[in-house]
Amino acid sequence: MESTVKEAPMRQGNLGIEPAVLKEIYRQMARIRAVDKEVQAGLSGGKFFFSYWPMTGQEAIPATIAQLTTTRDYMVTTYRGVHDQVAKGLSLDGLFAEMLGRIDGVNKGKGGSPHISDPASGSMLTTAIVGAGAPIANGLAVAAQARGEDRVTIVNFGDGATSIGAVHEAMNLAGIWKLPIIFLCQNNQLGEYTPLAEFTASKDFTSRAEALGFRGVRLDGNDPAAFYAGMKEVIESVRAGKGPVFVEALTYRLGPHAGVGDNNNVTAEALTAAKEKWPVPRTRALLLDAGVCTEEELAQLEADAQTEVEAAMAKAMASKVTPAEETLIDVYADVDTIPRRGHYPHREAEKEPTGETRSMMGLEAVLQAQDLAMEQNPEVFLLGEDVGAPGGVFATSRGLIEKYGGSRIRSTPIAEQAIIGAGIGAALVGMRPISEIMFLDFAGVCLDQIANHAAKQRYMSGAATNVPLTIRMMVGGGMGGFGAQHSQSLEAWLLHTPGLKVAFPSTPYDAKGLLLSCIHDEDPCVHLEALMVLRGAKQDVPLEDYRIPLGVAKVRREGSDITLISYGWQVNQCLTAAEELAKDGINAEVIDLRTLVPLDYHRVLDSVKKTRRALVVHAATEFCGFGAEIASTINEELFSTLKGPAIRLGADYAPIAYSKEIETSQVPNSNSIAARVRAAINAYS
Amino acid sequence: MAMTLTIPKLEMSMMEGTLAEWKVESGQPVQQGEVIYILETDKTARDIEAPASGTLIHKVEAGETYDVGTEIGEIV
Repeated sequence: MESTVKEAPMRQGNLGIEPAVLKEIYRQMARIRAVDKEVQAGLSGGKFFFSYWPMTGQEAIPATIAQLTTTRDYMVTTYRGVHDQVAKGLSLDGLFAEMLGRIDGVNKGKGGSPHISDPASGSMLTTAIVGAGAPIANGLAVAAQARGEDRVTIVNFGDGATSIGAVHEAMNLAGIWKLPIIFLCQNNQLGEYTPLAEFTASKDFTSRAEALGFRGVRLDGNDPAAFYAGMKEVIESVRAGKGPVFVEALTYRLGPHAGVGDNNNVTAEALTAAKEKWPVPRTRALLLDAGVCTEEELAQLEADAQTEVEAAMAKAMASKVTPAEETLIDVYADVDTIPRRGHYPHREAEKEPTGETRSMMGLEAVLQAQDLAMEQNPEVFLLGEDVGAPGGVFATSRGLIEKYGGSRIRSTPIAEQAIIGAGIGAALVGMRPISEIMFLDFAGVCLDQIANHAAKQRYMSGAATNVPLTIRMMVGGGMGGFGAQHSQSLEAWLLHTPGLKVAFPSTPYDAKGLLLSCIHDEDPCVHLEALMVLRGAKQDVPLEDYRIPLGVAKVRREGSDITLISYGWQVNQCLTAAEELAKDGINAEVIDLRTLVPLDYHRVLDSVKKTRRALVVHAATEFCGFGAEIASTINEELFSTLKGPAIRLGADYAPIAYSKEIETSQVPNSNSIAARVRAAINAYS
Repeated sequence: MAMTLTIPKLEMSMMEGTLAEWKVESGQPVQQGEVIYILETDKTARDIEAPASGTLIHKVEAGETYDVGTEIGEIV
């Protein structure tokens, strides 16, 4: 009698998967394995240096998904995503050259392997910020949904990412909007250096999806047959429009967080046990045991993968390192947007519209601009808190949901990362989203999406992609009573981030014309809407479509003795101050910048050449404010012309107070502006 | 074509490593993937495999600590 029962080898009949499909999965795994080995050998041997986050052990997940998706389907992944890129269909030439920072990289060597974008294969965005891809992937799914396409979006992230807020915000939004998206958690048991059990008390991650009202599925990501069957059902369901699914794919990271070799964050026993489940050798053995492939066939398949990898690496090594001349290329569509010392391009001013006008406040001008843009282009849509039925907290979208419906006027949960992220994703595939953030102060909770993703995506992708997103943000201040968290002028946060354009209108007329330009721009634009302008004085505004070009300042009042340079609601304080100064015989010119990036230094310097004095005024804190930048440039360019140094006036270095008396005094006003001008003229006359 | 061997950067924080032991003598043939030396860092000891096949030439002694990027040998 046999004392041990030997497990019967798997045969074709009980593989649980079509043999040909399993062979294709192994072919992808062999390619991934060859890439991983090539990179690790090169790093170990000192052939090249770059940061590498090995995905060894996780090969079966993308190799299997590749059998169920096409290049039409969208993918977002992370820095530990080289396996995802290979299986998605990125050319290995472009991948290796990108890793090496070479000009022939898929993103010109500007992004590197943690920032791959390859629209041709459907690999839309790769982020090195844990969890940040999820809100953006929603936007890709929004675009597919809005356009009636059957594309599926798969966003990959690790178990570590389940702890960060962006993933929660994204999952909640996908649930309520029933987006065609799969949240694919490649649970490799470690968040960087920390084992799962040390960063969460959760028993599983699928219950998080269930808590948010959609399905969570747990699959063995190391078993291609089981994973294929599970993912086939999930992908078909999502493709059929049945809403999002969260998939927890169980696997194991065999390598370290970064570097090469074995995982050194776990015990030797745990690693040995994990290696026994490594899908690459296991699937190979299964193909042999089941008689699907002969040893010769597998050896040939592996040799082919090796040949492809070696040829691609040789080509990449021969490519030129991306040179410094590329520094300013791809920050914006137009290199002249970049503020550069000594380079002050002249941009033509807009033609004044001549058609019918109506007297309106800023909020109605903003409403009109959005209405016009949506009427003209079905790809324009608005998303933000309360933008639907209530018509926006400040009535900037009143009536739009009745006209355009909920698919284009999308009220969102209170989740700013989700709002910006969905805008980025939809913009990535050519839509024209407008993401509304109620107050600029809330930039703090979504700055990663704005600064690390919207702003940098064109550059990191070597212009393979761009983000024609408009972000509208209300700016408090000057009204009184909004307090320290709803009154700040934080434009300097945005201006310190290359890649963003920033408009800050001072009148209803400009708000409409600038917003229309932002919506039609190819780069991410932030349109700052001061409540003092939205709800301030009415103005006759043309009803037609007119655009104020970004980067064209306007002289609001001509003068000869000093140039007051300002923007946003402070322009009106400057105009009032100028009238006061006129009583003393001081004739001030007032320039309204209208856009902060691109900045119209040409008109600013022309004005100061004439008046030979300059004061920059803004509601933001004076210390490290935009005024310092402008004053410094004026002083450097016009040193010998000036009667006195260009100076600045901003808010005191304190949070904005609730007390009306403090707020009025801490932010520049017509009296303090006039006083600063008089003092400067007295000091240098 | 000769391939230069240098002390690799195995971890983001790694600045130097100790070449603990050559596993193949200088002048001996090696196959790609064969362990050629043991590298110790402050975190761990690693087997380092030959990145190519050929003849291994040592350029430095084992038992010493070298900066990342130091040339330690070549495969010709």
